[in-house]
Amino acid sequence: MSGLTFRIDPKDWDGDPDDFMSCVCILTPVVIAAWPAFSAAVMAAATSLGYTLVEETKKVSEPAAQPKTANHIDLEIPQSELVMDTLNRDQRIAVARDGVTVTFARDARGKASLCVTGEGYSEAELRARGEELSQRLVQKYVYGRLMEEMRSRRFVVVEEETDENQAIRLKVRHWEN
Amino acid sequence: MRQREFEITIGPDGSVELQVKGYKGKRCLEAVKMFEQMVGGVQSQRLTDEYYDPEEEVQYRIEQRS
Repeated sequence: MSGLTFRIDPKDWDGDPDDFMSCVCILTPVVIAAWPAFSAAVMAAATSLGYTLVEETKKVSEPAAQPKTANHIDLEIPQSELVMDTLNRDQRIAVARDGVTVTFARDARGKASLCVTGEGYSEAELRARGEELSQRLVQKYVYGRLMEEMRSRRFVVVEEETDENQAIRLKVRHWEN
Repeated sequence: MRQREFEITIGPDGSVELQVKGYKGKRCLEAVKMFEQMVGGVQSQRLTDEYYDPEEEVQYRIEQRS
């Protein structure tokens, strides 16, 4: 049996084709924060990964004492800047899980740095733990920053979910004249 | 009133994917700039044109009878 198939595309509608325009982009997050916002992001990230707070202090001291046999590794959060006045410059916060302690502080260049220590862990294991935590910190920081901006611009968050991979998905709407 | 919509995915590694919908032409890119100021610079970007979306397609089948 013969037949004829034809198709009507939206481009055949009378409407302005620009109405259908959209774009997708990948953004590289930058963490620029004062200590309260930064330490809040540390705690949110740490809690989501099962870490608990060891100490938050502004003492100029070494991180929590570790056995001499403990390995340690220093990392930094790229694209970060901790904005602190002279009183808060030596703030640090330490969290721990399963014998691994991660201490966050501001380094001499103003970047966010972390020192990861743990007895019985290789440097590669400590690096993996530190990177996991610092990446989660960036996620929590970006989430907090976006929610704050959405509120101030009166944008409406209509959907929010965290998927099985721990990615946070937000759907935001606003209306313009 | 025109509705604007943003879909934002913040990965567990801190990566951010943004989809902007409902803008005309270059105004779409202006919206991206707003998010750049909030989050950080654009690493990559592609424009989409939703009229190629299959869900927007309508098909008719006309059969000839002898």
